[in-house]
Amino acid sequence: MVQRRTQDPTLRPSVTADPATVRVTFEYLACATLWLLVGTAAGLLDALKLNWPDVLAVPWLSFGRVRPIHTNTVFWGWSSMALVGLALYVVARTSRASLWSPTLSRISLALWNAAVVAGLVTLSVGVTRGPQEYREWVWPVAVMFAAGLVLNGVNAYMTVATRNIPEFYISNWYILGAFCFLTILFTAAYVPLYQHGLGNIVIQGYYMHTAVGMWFTMLSLGIAYYAIPRILGRPIYSYALGVLGFWTNILFYTLIGAHHFIFSPVPWWLQTTAILFSVGMMVPVWAGGCNLLLTFRGASGVLQRSYAAPFLLAGIVAYVLVSTQGTLEAFRTTNVYWHFTNVTVGHSHLAMYGFVAFVIWGAAYGLVPRFTGSEPNPILVGIHFWLALVGYMIYVVSISIAGVLQGFAWVAGEAFIRSVEAAEPMWLWRTAGGVLMVASHLVFAVNVWAMRPGRSLAATPAAPAVEASA
Amino acid sequence: MNFHTSHRAVVGFAFFGYLALTLLIAILPAASVQDTPGLPGVAARSAPAEQGRAIYLREGCGYCHTQFVRDLPLDRPYGRATVAEDYANEDPPLPGTERTGPDLSNVAARQPSDTWHLLHLYNPRAVVPQSVMPGFPWYFEVKAAAAPGDVVVPVPPRFVSAQGQVIVARQESRALVAYLLSLRQPEVPK
Repeated sequence: MVQRRTQDPTLRPSVTADPATVRVTFEYLACATLWLLVGTAAGLLDALKLNWPDVLAVPWLSFGRVRPIHTNTVFWGWSSMALVGLALYVVARTSRASLWSPTLSRISLALWNAAVVAGLVTLSVGVTRGPQEYREWVWPVAVMFAAGLVLNGVNAYMTVATRNIPEFYISNWYILGAFCFLTILFTAAYVPLYQHGLGNIVIQGYYMHTAVGMWFTMLSLGIAYYAIPRILGRPIYSYALGVLGFWTNILFYTLIGAHHFIFSPVPWWLQTTAILFSVGMMVPVWAGGCNLLLTFRGASGVLQRSYAAPFLLAGIVAYVLVSTQGTLEAFRTTNVYWHFTNVTVGHSHLAMYGFVAFVIWGAAYGLVPRFTGSEPNPILVGIHFWLALVGYMIYVVSISIAGVLQGFAWVAGEAFIRSVEAAEPMWLWRTAGGVLMVASHLVFAVNVWAMRPGRSLAATPAAPAVEASA
Repeated sequence: MNFHTSHRAVVGFAFFGYLALTLLIAILPAASVQDTPGLPGVAARSAPAEQGRAIYLREGCGYCHTQFVRDLPLDRPYGRATVAEDYANEDPPLPGTERTGPDLSNVAARQPSDTWHLLHLYNPRAVVPQSVMPGFPWYFEVKAAAAPGDVVVPVPPRFVSAQGQVIVARQESRALVAYLLSLRQPEVPK
């Protein structure tokens, strides 16, 4: 039975957060939600097109143009804006301070929105850098995004630098790190000096892998290290494991991009290094994942009462699963069967949806009502949770089966079209899962609206806070 | 210097550590292989083929079609294994990460007919009934009658909405076919 959280004596509201920080975080979340709706509508359209390829056969809605619109809108519009909005709140709260400059983050948000809109328009009309995944935006669009990134990074850093407590909480390691990493990897991806011919492929592997691992994963973990203890009202299981996870994630994750091009002309030592450190990834994944999961141990009471905790738990479980799957996919043997198949598509959705989106939702439902004083309808939050969870499980399972069937057909030496025929029924299931996912996002949008600040922001009772930085 | 109280230490180590790793694992290796010369005797692409490649990029063909043949038995139907030299003059190269459709590194050798390619681009179901590839009808023109010099595509009647009309290939679709027919793996000298 889900109760209204603020009526639960074990889960008290925050000391009133500074209203400017609150509004900035909410604006990021609201814009992100809009891009979630646009980006996943594009994804659903492309799923439908594999079932009915002659539907909406117009240039700007053709499969090959909609695919980068889906991925880039979901990456840079939805996930980045939502994560950064929450991260700015975490940075301010754990520094016991207001955001250094709310204006700076507002400018960033405007730049990011402009970049996502420009990205949508340019990709629709076919202005693109070609199928270089997640860096299809032409450089003027990328520069707008990068400018917003740097401004937000400066803002987060300065908020921490002017903090009112001596400690530098682990969430901020991950969050400030993420801003450094994306600045470097985004620049490395767009500077053309070393990207002629095969050089481009080396950078592509590094870029598409670390964009996920050093930006989305780092921000999600940073937010989880704040939100989970905050919502459960208990410290994280082990601070030291969080530190271990941070440094090993930097070392191992950075080195494994070449595993996207196994058996390619990319230098063999680079591929072998990538496979080796893909195994090494088990260290940060199990250190970080188990650390967060063990924090839940004995907190089943909160899990039953809170509507945020189940999202976070599902998100961390998906993190461990998807990263372990990633290691398995990196081996040369599994690569023979899985590479180029839909297994990759299942893997990326398990990561960006099962892990990243669920952490965002858990943190949003767990933190936003604390600072806006407005709560969503718990029944609608429950509907969101189950639609999203069941939807993406249908999605990931069916698309992964499709991938395995494709791989078997190829290894058996059958005519290529047999792999298409084998995948077709699974693609229909994938679309069904996608419909549930998109429906859950509409419910989420309603809930975000219900959590908007203003109505009772001033009236939030100031109660003693159970701070996460224990 | 204490990592738990010094944000400068953590951010500094993370920033420069990551930058160093990026140089070692990405930028320096990329710089060291980017100047691999092309295979001997390979002619530059023709102007229409070059325009066709731009259309190939614009329409996102590379999301479903790889140009990356591995030295594995299951890749034998697509040609010989891709070598670094194959990507020498490709900007950007199109190895791809997914094969919803077959690899195209050597498609011109497998399917040399320009009429087949035009039909396939107009509506893939006209030649492969089970195909899920999108058609590109906007690179074709529907006309009452062909003018002199028009390339008429023999589209089966059930794929033409207005009966009695002819489908004529626009310059873009002919350029795209020129590009596809330029995809023929050159021999690797022993």
